[in-house]
Amino acid sequence: MKNDVLMKVENISKFYQMGEVTVAANKDVSLELYQGEFVVILGASGSGKSTLLNVLGGMDLPTEGKVFMEGEEITRYNDRKLTAYRRDKIGFVFQFYNLMANLTSRENVELATEICKDALDIDEVLEAVGLGDRKDHFPAQMSGGEQQRVAIARAVAKNPALLLCDEPTGALDFKTGIKILSLLKQINEKYNKTIVIITHNVPIGEMADRVIKMRSGEIVETKINRNPVPPERIEW
Amino acid sequence: MKKLDIRLFRLIKNSKGQFISLSVMVILALTIYVSFSMVADNLNDSIFSYYETTRFGDVFVEVVKIPKSAIDKLHGIEGIEKAEGRISSDVPLRVEDPNEKVSVRVVSLPKEVAGLNNAYLLDGKRLTDSSKTTMVLQQFADARGIKAGDEIVPYIAGRQYPMDVVGIVGSPEYIYLMENEQALMPAPEKFGVIYVTEDFAQSVLGYQGSYNEVMIKIKDDYIDQIDSIVDEIEDQLDRYGVKRTIKREDQLSHRMMMQEVEQLETMATAITVLFLIVAGAIINVMLSRIVKNDRMSIGVMKALGYNNFKILAHYTKFSVMIGLVGSIAGILLSIPLSAAFTELYIMYMNIPMFEMKVYPAYFVYGILLTSVFCVLSGLMGARSVLKILPADSMRPEAPKAGGRIWLEKIKPVWHAISFSTKMVIRNILRNKRRAVFLTVGIALTYSITMVPIFMSSVWGNLFVLQYGEFQTMDYNIDFSGPMNRNALRELSQMIDVDLIEPKTEIPFELRNGWKKKVVSIIGIAKDTAVYHLKSPGGYPIELPSSGIILSENLAKSLDVHIGDEILIKNFLPDKKDKSIRVKGITKQYLGANAYMDIEAMSDLLGEHGVFTGALMNSKDDVVSKLKNVKNIRQVQSVQDMKNSFLEFMDMMIYSVGVMMLFGGILGFAIVYNVTIISISERTMEFSSLRVMGFDKKEIYKMITKENGVMTLMGILIGMPLGYSMCEGIAVSLTTDLYTIPIIISPSSYVVTAVATIFFVSLAQLATIRKIYRLNFMEALKNRIS
Repeated sequence: MKNDVLMKVENISKFYQMGEVTVAANKDVSLELYQGEFVVILGASGSGKSTLLNVLGGMDLPTEGKVFMEGEEITRYNDRKLTAYRRDKIGFVFQFYNLMANLTSRENVELATEICKDALDIDEVLEAVGLGDRKDHFPAQMSGGEQQRVAIARAVAKNPALLLCDEPTGALDFKTGIKILSLLKQINEKYNKTIVIITHNVPIGEMADRVIKMRSGEIVETKINRNPVPPERIEW
Repeated sequence: MKKLDIRLFRLIKNSKGQFISLSVMVILALTIYVSFSMVADNLNDSIFSYYETTRFGDVFVEVVKIPKSAIDKLHGIEGIEKAEGRISSDVPLRVEDPNEKVSVRVVSLPKEVAGLNNAYLLDGKRLTDSSKTTMVLQQFADARGIKAGDEIVPYIAGRQYPMDVVGIVGSPEYIYLMENEQALMPAPEKFGVIYVTEDFAQSVLGYQGSYNEVMIKIKDDYIDQIDSIVDEIEDQLDRYGVKRTIKREDQLSHRMMMQEVEQLETMATAITVLFLIVAGAIINVMLSRIVKNDRMSIGVMKALGYNNFKILAHYTKFSVMIGLVGSIAGILLSIPLSAAFTELYIMYMNIPMFEMKVYPAYFVYGILLTSVFCVLSGLMGARSVLKILPADSMRPEAPKAGGRIWLEKIKPVWHAISFSTKMVIRNILRNKRRAVFLTVGIALTYSITMVPIFMSSVWGNLFVLQYGEFQTMDYNIDFSGPMNRNALRELSQMIDVDLIEPKTEIPFELRNGWKKKVVSIIGIAKDTAVYHLKSPGGYPIELPSSGIILSENLAKSLDVHIGDEILIKNFLPDKKDKSIRVKGITKQYLGANAYMDIEAMSDLLGEHGVFTGALMNSKDDVVSKLKNVKNIRQVQSVQDMKNSFLEFMDMMIYSVGVMMLFGGILGFAIVYNVTIISISERTMEFSSLRVMGFDKKEIYKMITKENGVMTLMGILIGMPLGYSMCEGIAVSLTTDLYTIPIIISPSSYVVTAVATIFFVSLAQLATIRKIYRLNFMEALKNRIS
């Protein structure tokens, strides 16, 4: 099962023009993501991990190189196709949750599922993230951890092929952060979802099937964990 | 319901103040559009159905004297459906107050009921065969309290004729009752129309078997050939002394009514478009700010897979909702408003068959118009949605470049002002778009408010200029026929005159090519002290001993310039038309006339030493002294005109108030919305200030100061803008009958400024809640919405 290639990234580079200086956010990055895999991309800020995530998620196109999702080259997609790709294949979880302030938690999830073809049952997903009794609360009435659960529910309920999490615990305290990581692990196992977490928090790497380290826009190390540690045992 | 729509409704709920203020503007725009258009259509339809019922003629010819047989011959001209003669003559009416001068136009009616320009019976019964019966025009009857059954006593040819009022009537030619083109406004208690039998009129006015007016109805299929038919009529009637030929389009009442219809239509579109443009501009700014604040949310939507169209539609729906609410409420409001307007017109316009019809087409046009405006402004405001890249939107926006402003370079000034004032100045200069929008908005408010203030003084100015500068006589006296110099001498003996001058005033048709106009040519003494002719540039003009001087609007409508020759059509039987050179063009505010040296005028007429009237300055009681004097047809007192004018002015206050209200709503909406937008996009800034220890009052003061500076600038820009707006209004209101002078007194500028500041302050006060409710801790915590 884990040998099925879900995504393939071939020699991508991303350059930004900052005034007269060209900054390389990604330099010749190549990697493969397998179906059902739990991947952690580690790197300090400015290492190019967010850029890579955006490229994987179809939010941004690389300057050079190719990206394939289930064999289709998404780097050749136009804007309309990229939108459809994000809608059907990708679930995002952001550091600052990015919920719609004037929608309840259930409505925030529905906002995502309304435009998807095979969305999961919303109530079931909300139960799964432990928010069965908070469905009608607005973001402002919830704690950061709860808001992040809504964000995860929103990403999962779309039933995407790939779940991309950008520093999902970055704004949370340690205990809440661990709970969120366990939730992500559960989802990985329960729904067999491929999950990519990017973080600068090294210990999180212990729970991954594979850890990819980035520095200055390049992959410097890839480590396979034969025995991932359960999130509950991680400490930072 | 779609979740994005739920979000939209909550967004609207959170910004209900803005939503309501914008909806009110759309409601007003639509209500005005629909109701004014419907009233204009109703008025127009009623007028023409009235014309139909009373068989209002198409051409009217005033002649010296014409026998019935000559009128019957007119039926030989192709296209003429019916030609009919009548007698019409202005005579004094006996009234209780000997100082009051009232005149009536005695008009004959034929025996047959289906005649042209028929009187429309409103009360009582029609004329009987008895020569003592008369029917009185409704406006005059109402103004003087005359009822069927009363007796009135006109003086005809020096004799009193007591007559029984049998009926009260309306007439298609006197819907708008004015004595003549020179009258400034209707004075129904001073001038009326009475209808008498043809036999009576012919016998007492000396027209046995003949008439002095011909009414002609043209067949519907020939109405587009009216000009050639008129030429034929004039040729055929030339030997009966054609004084003037009036086509229906030039008929006084008809022209005034058509102007009324046109004004309603113009108002309907002008006010509507103005309101929609301003509402659109606010929506545009507001939505672009909302989109800016929602940058992250838009990024999330895009990340979730919402396409540009869906997101753009989401924000555009905000303005569509405004349009929808505005349209529905506007239409609901416009129906009772049109009914009320219609009622008002029934009261003032004297059209017996005025009825209110609802034209659903205007609902459709109105909704289309508002929809187009709202959708366009919504799309324009929200279009930056397209530019937001999902990946970029996840990053906080780079801080705005903040540099030194030019004022800081003037060190002594900069150091002298307080810290919060420095912030105020920086804020204004750093967000130039917002500052410009607010300033322009206030300038617009100022100029719109200025228009009614200007309008309220227009008629007063018109009067002062016409009778204070242009012509300065106290009395304008018309003889009943041409008189020689002895008449003037007799007048000076009867009255203690300060000054008396002869005048000769006779209507002529002036022609330049195919353009023609019937006006009175006034012959005045070369050294006249009561007429002050001035060029449009304001320089005095000397009356030339030959040639003619035209009033500015007359020259314009004939399209002639100084040095051109014009043709004067002579209506006297067997007299040739004459060509004459235009020697000057004079400013004249009221009426259109031509002026000549009285001697040159005599040459033109071929009669020397006779005059048709006198111009007089006197402190004596001229009106009552000349009341029963033979050979004096009319004594016009400038003071009397002034008085009835002031009464007329009182009625204007109402419409001035309504216009002011419009300006106020506009100003309120602009300032309120811009301030709310400004507060919401500066939440972070204000929160930081609160954390630093500024209290709510100080922050509010800062915003007030910013708005204050921009209000001042807006007013300064508004002054020239308002002036040109008034100029535009003046030009559009200028007609053949009057030229609107553009005089705006310094006090008008001040009053407008006070009104503007009042509107701005109201809006400013309405925003105070937003600042006081600002939860700064929350704002700082939630960096991302």
